[in-house]
Amino acid sequence: MAFGRLTGLQGMRYRGGGPMLAFLLHRVTALGIILFVGLHVLASFAMQQVIWGDFGIFINTIYESPWFQIFVIFCVLYHALNGLRIVIMDFRPGLLKYQREALWLQWFIFVPIYALTIFVVIQRALAGG
Amino acid sequence: MEATVKIFRFNPETDQKPHFETYTMPVESTDRVLDLLEYIKGNFDGTLSFRRSCAHGICGSDAMRINGRNYLACKALVKDVGLKIKVEPVLGLKVIKDLIVDMDPFFEHFRSVMPYFVNDEPPPAKERLQTIEERERFDDTTKCILCACCTTSCPSFWANQEYLGPAAMVNAHRFIFDSRDRAAAERLRILNDQFGVFRCHTIFNCTIACPREIEITQAIGELKNAISTGALE
Repeated sequence: MAFGRLTGLQGMRYRGGGPMLAFLLHRVTALGIILFVGLHVLASFAMQQVIWGDFGIFINTIYESPWFQIFVIFCVLYHALNGLRIVIMDFRPGLLKYQREALWLQWFIFVPIYALTIFVVIQRALAGG
Repeated sequence: MEATVKIFRFNPETDQKPHFETYTMPVESTDRVLDLLEYIKGNFDGTLSFRRSCAHGICGSDAMRINGRNYLACKALVKDVGLKIKVEPVLGLKVIKDLIVDMDPFFEHFRSVMPYFVNDEPPPAKERLQTIEERERFDDTTKCILCACCTTSCPSFWANQEYLGPAAMVNAHRFIFDSRDRAAAERLRILNDQFGVFRCHTIFNCTIACPREIEITQAIGELKNAISTGALE
């Protein structure tokens, strides 16, 4: 008799460093995007129903709130940039030796774009937009 | 100085599920984790089970998870891993006892990529010559010792044991890019399977875990490229 394969949460705790974190964030941000799209579809559906209209409006207020937008922008931007990095490296294996630099470059691109977007979202929220 | 070693324990004859046991012992900063395990086995609990053979980073027997990442116990020094050490079996393979895992799935994948030289052409009078550049093309992947540190650090392998895993791919790379070999097309066909190279998500755990410092992700990238372009550049 043997004990089953150790995976799942044990794997989440594996100390792989920056690339492992990038992998995990890629999955988490994908779930965030699915959550956003799912809520959007659900709200669109509910608002067209006679009795669920208020429920649709309630969901709308969730994903249109500044905090949810900040979360979604993080998910979309990170997922897009990380995916682009992986695609480029898949097509150019010679670049794989610069993966550490590529990860830093990704953050250097991510941080200013994300900061600017947050600034705009918060500014609009404070202005009541 | 003293080290505290927390070890994953599982005895299939007496335990329903695994547990951890903690041992404290005097250590030197240059001691290897393997030395600590042998100290525990010799002084505290003779039933502690783990694989070891050469104890010098060549045989690849003692791959295990030390403080959360894969190492060879014979190459992990106390000064590198600290005085609080947690030792667990590698992930993704069944635990047989304590730190010993069932390596059969790992070696099945290794065998499936034809990890041997194939050339049906009549041999020359002396030997099959190769230029220095041709030899260098696959030099990195000749270093694999089949310890499984890479494959068992790979989330794609944790998710699905049918995935060939980095070690099998490294060994396929070693022969595919060998100018004397003639079975590259057959190996690339095997690697182009749904559980082949394209399940690699460029996570780099394998490259970081490899005790032989093989650029595994790069080798897998070259295999993906060879399949996509049909060229062995």
